[in-house]
Amino acid sequence: MSQTLAPQHVAASPTPTLPKVFAAAARAEWTKLRTVRSSMWALIFTTVSTVGLGVLLTSLEVSRWDHRTPAEATGFDPLLYSFAGINLAQLSIGVLGVLVMTSEYATGTIRLTFGATPQRRLLLAAKAATFSSVVGAVSLISCFSAFFICQALLAPKHAGVSISDPGVLRAVIGGAGHLVLIGAIAVAVGAALRRTAGAVAVLFAVLLVVPGLVTLLPSPWNNDITQYLPSSAGVAMSAVVRFPNLLTPAAGLLVLCGYTAAMLLVAAVALVRRDA
Amino acid sequence: MIEAQQLTKRYGTTLAVDDLSFTVAAGQVTGFLGPNGSGKSTTMRMIVGLDAPSAGRITVAGRSYSRLRFPLHEVGALLDANAVHPGRSARNHLVWLADSNGIARQRVDVVLAMVGLTEVAHRRAGTFSLGMGQRLGIAVALLGDPQVLIFDEPINGLDPEGILWVRRLLRSLADEGRTVLVSSHLMSEMALTADHLIVIGRGRLLATGRVADFIEQTSGHHVRAATPEASTLTTLLREKGATVTADGTEGLSIKGMECRDVGILAAGAGLTLYELSAQRASLEDAYMELTHEHADFRATADSPLRSTR
Repeated sequence: MSQTLAPQHVAASPTPTLPKVFAAAARAEWTKLRTVRSSMWALIFTTVSTVGLGVLLTSLEVSRWDHRTPAEATGFDPLLYSFAGINLAQLSIGVLGVLVMTSEYATGTIRLTFGATPQRRLLLAAKAATFSSVVGAVSLISCFSAFFICQALLAPKHAGVSISDPGVLRAVIGGAGHLVLIGAIAVAVGAALRRTAGAVAVLFAVLLVVPGLVTLLPSPWNNDITQYLPSSAGVAMSAVVRFPNLLTPAAGLLVLCGYTAAMLLVAAVALVRRDA
Repeated sequence: MIEAQQLTKRYGTTLAVDDLSFTVAAGQVTGFLGPNGSGKSTTMRMIVGLDAPSAGRITVAGRSYSRLRFPLHEVGALLDANAVHPGRSARNHLVWLADSNGIARQRVDVVLAMVGLTEVAHRRAGTFSLGMGQRLGIAVALLGDPQVLIFDEPINGLDPEGILWVRRLLRSLADEGRTVLVSSHLMSEMALTADHLIVIGRGRLLATGRVADFIEQTSGHHVRAATPEASTLTTLLREKGATVTADGTEGLSIKGMECRDVGILAAGAGLTLYELSAQRASLEDAYMELTHEHADFRATADSPLRSTR
């Protein structure tokens, strides 16, 4: 035993810098993510649902092309259906993001994680950054695939847009950015609440239930508030045609970044204050 | 070296750890002993910065754990062997921990071999037996080749061969000059494994010192003798400075004199002895006595389970 141990012992290296601690924590998070099957499935589901729903809805629209009302025809956003799948994808990304934190509390590995990286704020940042990067890569592939396939479907109707048309490239990247920020929010919600069921419930309530309830408010409150909700702000990021009651893409990005930052701040305070 | 100074942990109105001060020195195995619920695990969680003390402080090599960067190089801990993702392989469990502290991946295979899990390294940790899980937890502690090691009940779930292996491992780690703190609620196990003891009950320090001294002090041995002429022998023994108490009509319990001297004294006076033996209260008895009032959950005094002992 002593023969095996002793040669391995390395002289104490100089104290690692915080960027080094962050990089190591991020690498560990990537290892965690790729070594569990469920996360790979959730990411595949994200791609399939983003592309699949976009293709499905675009096909339906194409099939009823000549039966549309004039209002529908003029207000047609060639990207709206292409990116409809993002609404579904944000749910799988949301659940997976929550699980990045809550599965560690459920299995008890959070104590190993904190033991390995006692800098808890840095750890949260590493977790959010790693997950968001993975979501970013998957979302970019999904959004570009959805875009090109859907525009190909619209081409026979001469309604498709090109990636070089004004605002289009920005919208495709905005769609992926929407998912990236939802992912980071989900990690933060998971960190703040620690339990999977509670965190998923809160996240879904914010993304799905609150928008429905706000529309019940008397006008003009309903429209005024709706555009500032995370879901609407996210949708604004991938819109090309300007809808009333929808923020500009830049404002949408800003609002969603604000929510993300606020939620991460709450999570950081909770992680540092609480015993693990 | 681990140092606790007036360490206190309060959960609501419960005092889990109460003004605890101790030092764990390098180069020996220190047993951390106490009944269930006495605050051992809470103290260990505070060592590795998982729980924050309500008052006082606890340091490793003079520093608070939460200030350490890449702490696995300095402190290795087995706190809960069940803390694994059941869907992740044993090897990948160690790989992410290695990644988090900049430890080379070859080290993962080295520790897997050390704990005897090489064959099952690619199996999902959720399929592991209690003993295999415990070995994986020990591998985690050894991963960064740290100078300070903390094990919370490491022999739980191990078979006799595994228990022997853990004892030897702890010994060899201490012999290499490392600081080894190992908790248990079994005095008998600690008597075999540890050099030094820290005994706590209800979060308070009850005793600390060398295991040998602890045995000496707490179990204070005495000599039992039996003779038809008990009163005569008692007088003789007391003249020689021994403390004698009657134990039945013809029995005597003698302190302060060895068996040999009692026998010579009796023979010199022509007294008949039909029993003469050194009595050593078991270590477990001493421990029970020490912690009796401090156990959180104990059986009622006359429960049938106890009387069979």
